[in-house]
Parts: sequence; C-alpha cells; structure tokens
Amino acid sequence: MTGTIELGREVVNKLRASYDDVAVLIKTRDRVMVKLWNTEPSVTQSWITTEVSLLLTKSKRVLILEFSVGRPEEILKAVEKISSVVERVEESELYAPLPEPQEVKLVEGSFDAKVIDAMRDPGKLTRLMIDAALSEGAERVAGTLTLSNDERVLVTSKGFENSERRTLVEAYLRAFKKEFSGQWAHGSTHVNEKEIEEVGRKAGLYASITSNKADLQPGKYDVVLSPLVVGNLMNYVSFMSSALAVLMGYSMFMKFRPGDKIASEKLTLVDTPRDPTLPNVASFDDEGVPTYDKPIIEDGVFHNLLHNSGTATKLGVKSTGNAGWVMPNPWNLRMKPGELREEELVSELRNGVIITNNWYTRLQNYVEGTFSTVARDAALLVKNGEVVGNVGRVRIATSFPQLLNNIEEMTRQTYDIMWWEVRTPTRAPYVLARNVNLTKPYI
Amino acid sequence: MGFDEDLLRELIDAGVAVGASYVEVRYQNDHGISVSMRNGRLIGVGSVREEGVGVRVLINGSLGFAATNDLSRDGLMNALEKAVSRARATASLRRNAITFAEERVGRASYEVVPKSRLEDIHVEDLTSLGKEAYGELLKTVSQVKLPVCVFSAETHMQEKLIMTSEGAYVRSRIPRIYVSLNLVLLHQQRGTLQRMKEFASSGGGELLKEWKPVDVVSEEVKNLEVVLLKGVEPPKDPVDVVVGSEIIGLLVHESAGHPMEADRILGREAAQAGESYVKPEMIGKYRIGNELATVIEDPTIPGSNGFYLYDDEGVPARPRYLYKEGIINEALHNRHTASIFGVKSNAAARAMNYASEPIIRMSNTYLKPGNMSFEELIDDIGLGVFIKSYMEWNIDDIRWNQRYVGLEAYLIRNGELAEPVRNPVLEITTQGFYSNIVAVDKELKFYPGTCGKGEPSQGVPVWFGGPDVRISKIRLGVIA
Repeated sequence: MTGTIELGREVVNKLRASYDDVAVLIKTRDRVMVKLWNTEPSVTQSWITTEVSLLLTKSKRVLILEFSVGRPEEILKAVEKISSVVERVEESELYAPLPEPQEVKLVEGSFDAKVIDAMRDPGKLTRLMIDAALSEGAERVAGTLTLSNDERVLVTSKGFENSERRTLVEAYLRAFKKEFSGQWAHGSTHVNEKEIEEVGRKAGLYASITSNKADLQPGKYDVVLSPLVVGNLMNYVSFMSSALAVLMGYSMFMKFRPGDKIASEKLTLVDTPRDPTLPNVASFDDEGVPTYDKPIIEDGVFHNLLHNSGTATKLGVKSTGNAGWVMPNPWNLRMKPGELREEELVSELRNGVIITNNWYTRLQNYVEGTFSTVARDAALLVKNGEVVGNVGRVRIATSFPQLLNNIEEMTRQTYDIMWWEVRTPTRAPYVLARNVNLTKPYI
Repeated sequence: MGFDEDLLRELIDAGVAVGASYVEVRYQNDHGISVSMRNGRLIGVGSVREEGVGVRVLINGSLGFAATNDLSRDGLMNALEKAVSRARATASLRRNAITFAEERVGRASYEVVPKSRLEDIHVEDLTSLGKEAYGELLKTVSQVKLPVCVFSAETHMQEKLIMTSEGAYVRSRIPRIYVSLNLVLLHQQRGTLQRMKEFASSGGGELLKEWKPVDVVSEEVKNLEVVLLKGVEPPKDPVDVVVGSEIIGLLVHESAGHPMEADRILGREAAQAGESYVKPEMIGKYRIGNELATVIEDPTIPGSNGFYLYDDEGVPARPRYLYKEGIINEALHNRHTASIFGVKSNAAARAMNYASEPIIRMSNTYLKPGNMSFEELIDDIGLGVFIKSYMEWNIDDIRWNQRYVGLEAYLIRNGELAEPVRNPVLEITTQGFYSNIVAVDKELKFYPGTCGKGEPSQGVPVWFGGPDVRISKIRLGVIA
C-alpha cells in the first residue's frame, strides 16, 4: 500500500537531519481469530492495527521506539519527547550503521486472495476441522482458526524502501474423547481446505487411538516425537542460535563454534525465510538486508548463528538477514526429512513412547541446554511396534545436546506446524530419538 | 489520559443500536521506557507506546471482540462493525448462548500515586544501576567467572478507561517498574550455573532504592558461587524438604491459581494453556490438601505487581480464597463464567493491552503464612534439603504434575543449614504437595512474574508468594 510507504517516508524525512540513521518499520494487520471451546466459538476476535517501530542512531547511540499508533504526527511528537535521550546515553555495544540498500528479489506467492474471502466467513473453514475431528470419534474440540492480511513496510534513511504483503492461515485443534485427547496444527500463507481438515482428522485420531491407560516408570526410553513436539523444541534451538541469545547468556551455542558436531548427522535445521507458503515469509529483514535460506545445523554440524548488522559487526562476520534491530530472529524453520513412512518409524521404535504433543518447555541452564518439557494429549506406549495405551502427562527431562545427538531416524513426510507453543513456523517430520530420559512424580 | 469519552459513548450506543445486548469499550494506553545492558555496557534504549481501543460485544449469544489503534471515529466504528459482523458470521457454529452474570459494576476513578513519578526516571538512572550491579558482582565472585551479566529495566504506565452499556465507568492509572538480571557463573571444571532474578511492583522511582537490587543479587551470587563450586547431589532416599518462599510462590500460582481459573475449568483455554484437574462439582467440597493449605488471591494489595481495584469488566475487586484449609473453595470468575456457575463475578477479568480481550487472570497469589520462624521450621530435621531458589519449572496442562529444579539449595543436618546441593529436582503432584505440608513459617515474601495465557498470548504482571514450607518425606531427583 502506497499510503504506508508514504507514512514511513514522511517520518524518515522529518527525522533524518537529526540522526545518523533512521529506519521505520510499519506493520499493518487485519486479522480474525475464531476461538473454540466445547465444539463452539467462545469468542471471535478481530484486530485492525498499525504498528510503527523506529530505529534512531546518533554517534553510535541506539534508540528504538515502538508505537502502536497510526498517525505520523503522534509518532513525531513522541520522538520529540524522547529525542534528548540519544544525546545523553552512551554508545551501544552492538551499534552498526544501517546497511546500504541492496537489490531485493521479492518472494512471490505469499498472498492468497482466498484468505481474504475466508475472513468474511471464518466459520466455514472452522467447521471443516471440527467436522473432521468429530468424524474420527472425538466428543468435543477446542482450538483456533486465524486468518490474517498483513503488510510490512521498511523505509530507511539509507534509501531502502520496500513493502510486502502476506496472508496467514493458522489452524490448530485439540480433540477430546473421554479422558484422552489429541492435537494437531497447521500454518501457511494459503488456504488449503485439505490441510485444515487434516488438522481435525489427526487431532480426532490421536484422541481416539487408544482407550487404555498405561503405566510408565521413570527412566530412559526410545521415543518418537511428533512434528508438534519437534517444532516446539526446534523453536528453542533456533532461538538459541540468535547471536544476541549467545551474547546475552541464553544459548547452548556459547559453548560451540561453527564446525562443531553438535547433533546426530540426521539433523539438518534450516532458517527458511523465502518459502512463500510458510507464514513468516520475508524477502528482506528489518534492516533491508535481503533474506536467504541458511542452515543453523547441517548434517549434525553447527553451521550458522543468526545475525543482524549489530551482532555481525560485534562478532566480525556478515549479517545473515535475520534482523530484528536488537535481536536477530529465525523466520521459518525447515528440517531435512528422513526416508521412513510413519508406520516404519514406529516399527523402528519397536518399544518406547510416541509423544504427540508437549508444552511448557523450560530450561535450567541455557548454556548447558538442560531442560524439561511436559507431554500432553496422546503419549503412547508402544510394545513390539503396537500402541498398547496412553502413559499420560510424562515429562521429557534431558539436555538439547543429548537429545539432538540421540536422533536416529525421521519420516519422509513433513508437516507445517504453527500453534500456541510453536510460534516460529516449522516444517518438521516425526523424529525417532533413542535413550531419552522420561520422568513423572512419585507422589 | 486524553481521550474523547463522547466517542466511546457513541461507540456503545452504535453497538446497542445494531442489536448488541452488551457493549464494552476499553481505551488503554501502555507506555514506558526500557534499557538493556550487557556486562555493564548499553545495548539499547527503547520506548514503547501501545494506545488503542478494544471493543467487546455480546450479540445474539455470540461474543465478538475487535481492537484498533485507529482512534478516529471511522476507525472505531470499523472495529465495532468487525466485532459485530464476525461474531454473527460464526453464530451458526454456536450451541449455547453466551450470557453474563448480573453485577453491580463500578463508577470510579483511581490511581497509584508513587513517591517518585515514572516521568522523573531518566534513562541514566536505569543505566547507572546496571553499571553498579555489574561492578559489584565482578567484585563478589572470586573463584568463578561471570561471563554474562545482562541487566534490563523498564518503566510501565498503564492507563485504562472502561465503559460499558450497563453503566460501568472505571478510569485507572497504574505505574510499574521492572528490573531483571540474567547471570551466568562459569568454572572451568564445575561448569556453569545460571540465575535470572526479577524485581517488579506497582509504584515509582522509589522502588529502585527500596528493592536494594544490587545488594540482593550480590548476596545471591556469593551463595551461588559456593553452590557451583561445592554443590553435592541431594540425598537419594526420601527426606523432609523445606521449599523456599520463592518456589512456594510459583507453586501456588501454578497449582492453585491456574487450576482455579473458571474458564480453564470449563475448557475455554483447552487448546492453549489447557484445562484443570478441578471439576465444577469439586468446588466447596474436594480436599486437595491439609489444613495448612490456604491459598489466597488478592488484587487489592497496595504496591503489588498485580494491583487493581476494578477488573476490566468494571467489577469491584476483592480477595478470593482459592483453597481454604485444604478444601477447594472459590474459583476465579469473570461475568461469563460466573453466569455458568450461577455465582457472582469476583473480578478476575484482565487484559494485557488494548488489543487483548479481558480474560480470567490471577493478580497476587500466596500461601497463607504461619507463626513459626525459619529456625523453628528446620529445628527437628535430622537430614533434609532446603531449596531456596529455582530456574527450571513446569506443570502439566491440568495443573497436577509439576517440577521445580532448585538453584540455591542446601542440605539440612541436625536442624541447621549445611553444605550446598546442586540441581535438586522436586517433582510432585498438586495433591502430593498440599497434603504433605508439615509446617509453614511466618516469613511471607512476594516475587514478581509475568503470567502468560490466552490466544493471542497475553502476559500480565502478577505477584506470587508465601512463607517457607516444610513437606515430609519427599524423594528428590537430580538432573539426568
């Protein structure tokens, strides 16, 4: 939208004389979310918002302002109020000049007009996933369907000006049958009715897959982790791969150097900004640097930290196109798939536990990567390749280095996962890991 | 707070005119400054301003919410139209009409007046504190290194004006300050230890002095160095465990506060933060612990991080007894869940910012303290463990099975604190904990947190606290 670029240009033009660098990032959003409980909507939420962020630098001082206001005069008034701060604070340890504009090849195909149509009646797509879950035997469902029309505009005093639009479909559903439940999720820039139905179908399937409870004693088990679990854990790995996380003590990568083997050779994790179907598609980062796909871990070897200009300058490397003005961030994640079908992976597991969903991952120590996370929904005990019951809410308690090294196999099919516990969209397979510590309370 | 109230009234009238049985408009302005520093050096200075209006309508039994920061008349009317039309568009999926309990809503204006205004806190005040902290901590450590000391501080002014079609009018202004540190201690042979420490309250610049954050953190680091250098594994057999007030606060938040949120009990958060082991029929009857298990939720504590006097539906706040002498007693309600339970709302509806729907939230949650001193609490323990602080924790989605991994912890030998213990794991069920309380001391302390819930996730400021608590014969784990 020209109007938004003009807003950015107006702000940059008014401020450029007073600062060394000015960048304006504007995000506009028209979004609807249907939230379900007990198989019906609890609320239908909408957002019509404009968020403006400003990066101002002067003599290596860095000031970042975030406004959830749409009027340029409000922004300029607020800048005036705080501008004297720049004179008084000291230089930033992570200062770097904004990069000179480079040619950006815009990713095509990230906007789907069907999403805009669906926003007028979000009930239709919602019903698809509800019906699919109920047809698998679920008794009730909860979840959300989110549809969004987003625009992102960046204007900098270095002469960078660009904008891109994307649409978003995020669907996840939790299905219940008696005391058991199953959950599935999907995220895309496009409406795909089959994928949305699949969310309901898999949630319903996992809720109904067994009516037996099984006991599990704490100990080491071989486990299959579903793409929801893998997505959640890879979100943490990718967060820790941000160079700022390393500098700030929130990363196991403090202990490693690029080239170190840190995981099973089966693991390749790629930051994927340029896939037009993944929700956080981006052609340029928040500094105007063109994005590109890059491995964080390739064949088990630690490959890249994610950088913006500031962290790259500090550590003597080049930006990886992952700005975030302060925090470099992954865009989307993609894992290299394996070669097995899902049933073959379960056969490989033979005896162990399939954990289909998790939540509440917390770390005791980011530097060591020690963490635990709690299973929810179907956690299935497998004996001789057959599901014999649900072990309930057990806990994975291990460290990321241990877990990543214990990965043995993956499925060839991947799923595009996005939900409450997977905020960086992740294309992930099912993963088989050996010898994983599972715990539960004694009393 | 300069916003055109007439425009909000017009919005309410327009909602009623198109058939809404309830219209609620909330102007909210959250703003403040922040600094982040690493090892005494500045990373960046930030300023945030989130200003907009959230409008909620109940129309033919469907609930619609829309938020906008286009505060023009057209912008607000557009938001109202979206709230109404999209609620109507999903009406075909509805099975039961949503209703709100009848309430006497407030007409009030209140403000937290700090001794020192947020406006008078300068960035330099925050950065000088960050520098002082790093300098002192470097002096504190002797045999270990301090490779990372991250210091963050921010001010937060929250201004709200809530008006509803039923006559609520609540204007509030609450300043808060937040300070946090992330520390990594490193020893070549003994590895690393990490501590995140937070301070947060409602109030103003005076808090930066009152908290004595540099002294508090220096004292902790001195102790944590000993834990890193000399910490031993916890006993393998069951022993009496004294759980420090920091963990008790988190524990009651997780295992009493969350499961007593009525929306969770009813399944409204089922696909996100989960449900609850508590079922409606258990309230007032089910015994979850012994007579020492009393957990109170109170938004009205002056100076608290979760302070408010009226909730975001305009209902006056009061203390709630979640667990009372071991019995599940009173759930946290908004007007919707109160209607389903056939009770009155107890004012638990809170919204993080203008773009968030008000949902049931905690405020300040604590375990009722007792009369004895800490020394009396541990006096007759032959062999036990005192777990003072934590890093890792989590709980399952029905709030039953939880885990806390100790950071600063000590053996108790013959009634006295002895050598440090490293990474003891307390993994216990909700009933297991509340039923095994032997004694509680009188030292009620509060700790700050940002509680996450809702979709999109909303983080709201809370306090949680309690005394030190002794539980009997617990088998502790270790990090595998």
